[in-house]
Amino acid sequence: MLLVMLPAIPLIGALALLLIRGKSVNMPLITSLIVLVLAGVGLSSVFGGMPLAYRLPLAGPFVPTFQADPLSAIFVMLAALLWFAVSIYAPEYMKHEGRARSFQLCTLFTLSAVLGVFLAGDLFTMLLFFELMTIASFFWVIHRWNKEAIRAGYFYLFFSITGGLFLALGIVLMGASTDVLPAIGVGPVTPIEPKMFAWSLALFVAGFGIKAGMVPLHLWLPHAHSVAPTPGSALLSGLLIKVGAYGLIRVGQYAGWGIGWGSGATWLGSSLTVVGISTMLVGVTAALLQSDAKRLLAYHSVSQMGYIILGLGVGLYLGAGGGLGLVGAIYHIVNHALFKAALFLGVGVIYVHTNETNLYNLGGLWRRFPMTAILMFLAVLGITGAPGLNGYASKTLLHHAVSLAAETGAPWLVWVERLFLLVGVGTAASFTKLYYLMFLGKPTKVKIADNKSRSLQLAMGLLAVVMVGIGLRPELFPRSMAAPAAEVLGMQDVVTTLAGVSFWNGNDLVGMFVTLALGMLVCWAGLRSGAFHWHPPIWLTLEGLAKLAGLGFLTLWRVGAGLYRSTVTAIREIGRTMGFRLYSACRRLDQSRSGTIGGVTLTGISADAALLMMTLAFLIVFYTLIDLGLPNLRLPFSLSQWMRALAR
Amino acid sequence: MLDLILALLSGAVGGLIIAMMPRASSRLRNTIALIFSVTGMAFSWRVAQLVFAGESIRIAGEIGGLSWSLEPDPLGAVFGLIASTLWLFATIYSFGYMANEKKQRTYYTFLLMSFSVTLGVAFSGNLVALYLFYELLTFATYPLVIHERSLEAMKAGAKYIIYSLSGAGAILIAIVVTYGWAGNLDFAGGPILASGGIRPGLSLLLALFVGGFGVKAAIMPLHRWLPAAMVAPTPVSALLHAVAVVYSGVYGILRVVYSVFGHELMGQLGLSYVLPWVAAFTILVGVTIATQQDVLKRRLAYHTISQLSYILLGAFTLQPWGLAGAMLHMISYSTLKITLFFGAGIIAKQTGETKVSKMGGVGWQLPKTMAAFGIASLGMIGMLPLNTFWSKYYLMKGSVAGGRWPLALVLIGSGVINAFCFIPTVVAAFTGERGKPTAERGAEVSLMLAPTVLLAGIALLIGLWPGLVWPGVQAVVNWFF
Repeated sequence: MLLVMLPAIPLIGALALLLIRGKSVNMPLITSLIVLVLAGVGLSSVFGGMPLAYRLPLAGPFVPTFQADPLSAIFVMLAALLWFAVSIYAPEYMKHEGRARSFQLCTLFTLSAVLGVFLAGDLFTMLLFFELMTIASFFWVIHRWNKEAIRAGYFYLFFSITGGLFLALGIVLMGASTDVLPAIGVGPVTPIEPKMFAWSLALFVAGFGIKAGMVPLHLWLPHAHSVAPTPGSALLSGLLIKVGAYGLIRVGQYAGWGIGWGSGATWLGSSLTVVGISTMLVGVTAALLQSDAKRLLAYHSVSQMGYIILGLGVGLYLGAGGGLGLVGAIYHIVNHALFKAALFLGVGVIYVHTNETNLYNLGGLWRRFPMTAILMFLAVLGITGAPGLNGYASKTLLHHAVSLAAETGAPWLVWVERLFLLVGVGTAASFTKLYYLMFLGKPTKVKIADNKSRSLQLAMGLLAVVMVGIGLRPELFPRSMAAPAAEVLGMQDVVTTLAGVSFWNGNDLVGMFVTLALGMLVCWAGLRSGAFHWHPPIWLTLEGLAKLAGLGFLTLWRVGAGLYRSTVTAIREIGRTMGFRLYSACRRLDQSRSGTIGGVTLTGISADAALLMMTLAFLIVFYTLIDLGLPNLRLPFSLSQWMRALAR
Repeated sequence: MLDLILALLSGAVGGLIIAMMPRASSRLRNTIALIFSVTGMAFSWRVAQLVFAGESIRIAGEIGGLSWSLEPDPLGAVFGLIASTLWLFATIYSFGYMANEKKQRTYYTFLLMSFSVTLGVAFSGNLVALYLFYELLTFATYPLVIHERSLEAMKAGAKYIIYSLSGAGAILIAIVVTYGWAGNLDFAGGPILASGGIRPGLSLLLALFVGGFGVKAAIMPLHRWLPAAMVAPTPVSALLHAVAVVYSGVYGILRVVYSVFGHELMGQLGLSYVLPWVAAFTILVGVTIATQQDVLKRRLAYHTISQLSYILLGAFTLQPWGLAGAMLHMISYSTLKITLFFGAGIIAKQTGETKVSKMGGVGWQLPKTMAAFGIASLGMIGMLPLNTFWSKYYLMKGSVAGGRWPLALVLIGSGVINAFCFIPTVVAAFTGERGKPTAERGAEVSLMLAPTVLLAGIALLIGLWPGLVWPGVQAVVNWFF
């Protein structure tokens, strides 16, 4: 019952908000607090190995079921926490943006849908909430209703819709390959038809990958995340893309966590690894070239999702020894949600006061916004993986997993590890750039409004406290929450693997500091040389390629449409000419005043008319004289008889 | 039996009464129309209930040695349910839409008459009755198509008549041949031609049948009458050219596939490998042309063409799941499409805009209408809170089960193109100047708005709880498999 209540609470909140007119109530804050408390109390039991399940008693093909295992519980609590923090922030911010009420409604609907996805117990229910989430969050993206927002909204919606359709087809193939559709939280699946099962997994990966911003399906993400109002961006980047990651974890469960080569889908781990590392690279490269703060953050969401996908891939690849990858990925999901939300909120604070998100127009803001600067600094340290903050913990785990894979797995995985380190440098560089250009550097000439951002900083502070807490006690979360989750998912050895990892060892610490130092160096070099202003040629960027493909398609379409049109015109012309000729021939016949039939010349009547009349006369005579049996009128011919006669 | 007769007659009687009262006030006329729509609906529900309970209802007779019979089976009952329920909605919508139009008497007369005829198609028990009602439907709906009496309307009417009658001619030939081969035209005793097995010319016969019924089912390239017929008043376009008339064609094809040939015999014919692809072609090309149309009703018309082939695709998969998908789509699509047409009608009536490119700001004037329109648009993509997801799901399941997985990809592709077709329409309606919802006030608008919103709600409800319509679908599938 609790499982249905959790998604229902925000819905009830939204309905209440619709009924209340005139007064302003921070409904998202209230509902997310209730959800947070309820989830904290009600779902804590699942970590002790007592999964919850609930089934709505509906007849028919769709029986909505809900379930909660530790993984779901982690995601639900994370969502509630993030929504709570952002709801503290939103009212103040939305005064600047306008239309706060519709934003609140959409925030509530999205929370409900997101909780539903995490608590869904079967694929249909999950898809239902997944689609609802798409629709609800679409209104975040187009909140400003200007041209740019609508364009980004289309991008978002069309990609998401395609993702949803992929998932639908994935469910179809899953059902076809396994006889009974597996529920969520069940795995690994032993397919009857392995090939179809593989396609189903691939479709699931694509469908959830679109949501997760997986390269090359990430094209919508930077547009959508940068154009939404900042609280919306924070939630989109902080949580909504994690829904994709959640889906990927569940897909991995079908393939089998902790089994690796034993399951049917051996390709899944390595392909997720490759996709993950390319997502990281593409995201970070694009981020380095951005001048808009929100777009930079959005591209970093792509890059950080790459870390998560990589962790999942490596975890699947390593099989029973992949616990670190899975736990690292779950850990990074939580951490990224925290620091990315904080970063977006920080940029939002600056935007509210300056109306500017272009980094090159900002600078020296730490004097005016000292508190924001400190909080942002913590978030930046978090995302770059500086020791003492949360990013360090999960990145260390992921790094351990990757190096384990590089040591024991195929030779190409060595390159994955090297690229992993490179992306770390890139991340450090781009955040040095962000922070330097925004808070340090030359003071900006932009007009700055009065600093009135108490509640804005409160929200950021809340996130920062959690971040620092995790950073100082990095082993707490994986032991108490992520490891049980991984164990339930199928990673039996995860506790022992995790016990062997120490977060504060010299190698990792030194590595991280070297990465940070290199990152700063790169940033300095880039800013000095102007490399950050480089615009890559159109054929080098995925977006450009997509654009080229689109143009090509359009040209083809135009050519095809033109051909079709000219063919149709030609056919119509021919038809018209022939019709005219036929008509004039008929006229000629009709106007002939006499004709000859059987040697008899008829005058004053056309031959054709005579023929017609004779036929009619014959028919009348035939039916009246010869065949009077009107009641048993048989059809004048019987094909069966003909056939029989022919056969003889 | 009485239920069946009453269901069939209520429309005709109501139409006659209205026709005989030239001086009646529009209020009286509306009341009569409403009463007879409701009775028709009530009795068809009753008939359907009896049919699903397994009772057989049969009325039969002979004309000139040819026996006709009315004997609804689950397929007919489902069609009858859809038609009669939506007729009520369309009648109520008409009260609002036609309030200030001329020639209301003609309109309501033929609207009610075609109700009877459509139910006749649905409840027919053999090919003769099916053919008679199918032909009658053309004539009963012709006055509605040419309602405007403008040159365009007359041309559209002529096109409609020519296309429909040519199709009916093909069907007549096919029926004659079937009778010659099987000596029996009843649906009740299993597939008519199944006992004869494979014989030469069977594919040709199938082509004749599908070509004939395909005219009304708007299979490409037999579809051209449908966009032309959009000159009719919107309730007519919504009900007849998105549901009743075109469904009679679809229903005919379903009958041919499952009652005349039977899925086993169909599976042995080479043509049955081609037909799904004809449907797939229509699906993709229809919706692609729809994206290019600027006049909203024409866009909807081409979209209808595409969606009807979903049903045919499901029928042509010859799989239980595919048939289930086809039946679900018959139910789901009709609710959504009528919502879309009703929305388009309200927009045209209240703001005068018929072109998509000029609809900027319409959404602010008609928020409820556009909300219903938006929900229906999402449904056309096949997204989950809407009922069409389920039909699409089972259609894909049927395609995959039949070993024709590329058809599932066609459905996915069509979903994406549908998104391109409708989402920009909805979004564009909310751009531009932010007005007040003034156009949504008044009794006439409420009469139009209520069925629109209600239908969107029904679509949502079925989407969340497909079990609501599942027994009917299951009954049809069990009947034929």
